[in-house]
Amino acid sequence: MSERMRKILESKREMRQRLAALPFADKVKLLEQLRDRSRTIATSPLKQRSAEQG
Amino acid sequence: MKATLEVINQMQADGIIGSYAIGGAVGATFYLEPVATLYIDILISFKKTGSLLAMSPIYDYLTARGHRAEKEYIIIENWPVQFLPPANALVEEAMAEAVATQIEDVPARVMTAEHLTAIALQTSRAKDFSRILQFIEGGTLDANRLDQILSRHGLLAKWEEFGHKFLKGNS
Repeated sequence: MSERMRKILESKREMRQRLAALPFADKVKLLEQLRDRSRTIATSPLKQRSAEQG
Repeated sequence: MKATLEVINQMQADGIIGSYAIGGAVGATFYLEPVATLYIDILISFKKTGSLLAMSPIYDYLTARGHRAEKEYIIIENWPVQFLPPANALVEEAMAEAVATQIEDVPARVMTAEHLTAIALQTSRAKDFSRILQFIEGGTLDANRLDQILSRHGLLAKWEEFGHKFLKGNS
């Protein structure tokens, strides 16, 4: 594994740990933002066109 | 979600459901980094009977208060909620041993990390395996406690199989 890739993976791991350590109420707010983004993506015309094309 | 839990707590106070515990992805978020989910899984106990027939008072109660049923979910304050009776002894135990928490000032109960892991192992879909790996990587599991749960519910062989498949060479 290259040094660059190792640093990227380490940075991702640190970010996950930081997020996991947040108070539950803060994580719930992030969940709500993620849910809203997922809904936007699910109803996007691009997503629907892609689903039609299989 | 705070408003959603207020409705569920009121439903409990009104005697429609007994105790409840948050499971699934929202439950896992109590211990791990947040993961995108569109739904809340609420495991519930009934005061009278565990029968599926006892679900209708929940739907009646909520729809009478303006909450809309959609497929297997009820939309409560913008969150689709699925109410699930405990399917087996493991889930019953997970509900009984759920931990009390608060979202802002609203009380809620969440399954333990070890029970969420055991249930994911029992369910064994791809996303369940992914969640187990997150729990392991997050270092949130009490190994002894998990071992006891897996042993009590006949899941040790499955756990070993999971280890061979996903953890080989990583320990």
